Amino acid sequence: MTRYVMVIDLNTCVGCNACMAACSLENQTPVWSDHWRTYVHDRESGAGNSVRRHFIPRLCNHCSNPPCMTVCPTGATYRTSDGVVLVDESLCMGCQACALACPYKARYPYTHADIKTGKEYYGALRRKAPSMDKCSFCHHRLKVGELPACVRTCPGGSRMLGDLDNAAHPVAELVHNGTAKPLLAHLGTRPNVYYIPQR
Amino acid sequence: MEIMSYTTQDMWTWWFALYLFLGGMGAAVIVVSFLTHMYLREEKELVMWGALSGVAMLGLGSGMLFLHLLHKWAAIYILTPWGILHKPDSWIAWGSQFILWLQIAAVLFALPFMVEKPRLLRWPIIGNVLKMEIVRNVAATAARFQTLLGWVAIITGLGTAVYTGLLLQSFPAVVLWHNPAVPILFTVSAFSTSMAWLLIVMYVFIYHRVDHTIRALYERVDIGLITAELVVIYSFFNYTLSGSESGYRSAELLWNDSGWVLGFVVCGLMIPLVMELRCVFGRWTGKVPIVTASMLVLSGGYLLRHYFMAAGVYAYPW
Repeated sequence: MTRYVMVIDLNTCVGCNACMAACSLENQTPVWSDHWRTYVHDRESGAGNSVRRHFIPRLCNHCSNPPCMTVCPTGATYRTSDGVVLVDESLCMGCQACALACPYKARYPYTHADIKTGKEYYGALRRKAPSMDKCSFCHHRLKVGELPACVRTCPGGSRMLGDLDNAAHPVAELVHNGTAKPLLAHLGTRPNVYYIPQR
Repeated sequence: MEIMSYTTQDMWTWWFALYLFLGGMGAAVIVVSFLTHMYLREEKELVMWGALSGVAMLGLGSGMLFLHLLHKWAAIYILTPWGILHKPDSWIAWGSQFILWLQIAAVLFALPFMVEKPRLLRWPIIGNVLKMEIVRNVAATAARFQTLLGWVAIITGLGTAVYTGLLLQSFPAVVLWHNPAVPILFTVSAFSTSMAWLLIVMYVFIYHRVDHTIRALYERVDIGLITAELVVIYSFFNYTLSGSESGYRSAELLWNDSGWVLGFVVCGLMIPLVMELRCVFGRWTGKVPIVTASMLVLSGGYLLRHYFMAAGVYAYPW
């Protein structure tokens, strides 16, 4: 059984935001409302000569124990057999409880107004109804054997996708040997996006 | 990775706090008035006021939630009874069913009294509806099953009052919300505000039609509930001060805000507690002190939820 995980190497992320651009075009996200399925945070730490700049890409962590799925009252949020957490927009009533439940700030509303703007912005908009939206690991691409748009676009090779159940896969190895670590693991969400910390 | 930023949410704001307030209070109003009628003393007036005001509060609260939905048609999935079978792990799914059946059971429980009430029958639209043959038949059937309907309302009402806290508890990222004391606090507050509302009703609208012992009992129970609320708030204060930075920041947001300290803790809890104690011990007589205390309790009930929503702090590693 495939279990998709993503590993992001913070040492090779240069903050070019190509992943954000690729994702927004692939998934027609409402960028005009400053809503992104993936976002690269630009942070500084330290002071004086020891100041450092950090680029931290954020996206849905496709948790194995997703709180967004538990709180969803209609069953619109579900988990596929390959471990990807998706939203069925026809079932989602947009109560936004999932956005409050998510510790990774991964969800945002795709509103009626966004759909109207999206039709002008993207031309043929695939979305028909408003709903909560989030990263899908580009599940439509995975199904035909392609990598997510952000992984394929990343110029530094910072983003890697693999199968955690395939121990021979380099991504699985990074997770299993502890090189890559999850975010906010203490919350018990069992995230499937791992980060190689900055050295 | 280290936590680098702390932030609060801006999706569920005052309108959601009002929903939690009206939902909890409306449900508790129905539970308290029905229990009083069924097991303490026959109080038809109290039942009618409790049922109608409770249903109105629940309707208004649910209506506000509905207006905020992105895709309103999809709400049908939580209003159908089998929705709960599809999502038994979601508190919103449970809460929607509780609220729906509570409103139906509350109206049916009060209907036999309403069709006999001359003053209601003289009202323009409601009076005409109550005079309809089908409504009278439904009322006659409901009268035969009144105990059953009462218990359906009591169980779903308790469920609704608890649900308002369980909903916040199900968000793991916020220390202030994700702990077992939240449903207790919100339930105690729901029943305290319901007592306050029913005291206002009994002192202002139906003073001569309700037995004085009921009013006296409610005042005493409300004193106990406000005291319990103060104890839970104090334990919250201690809990958030140590353990995690997110909880500490929530405590800072709350206790540095005069709306929380003066508005909720002082004016919404302490002052009404002192006023009700003076009324119970006979130092203050008349309607004004107890009605004023009850109005302060109501404002405190809303402020509790308002500041609780506003002070939920998320900790992010970016």
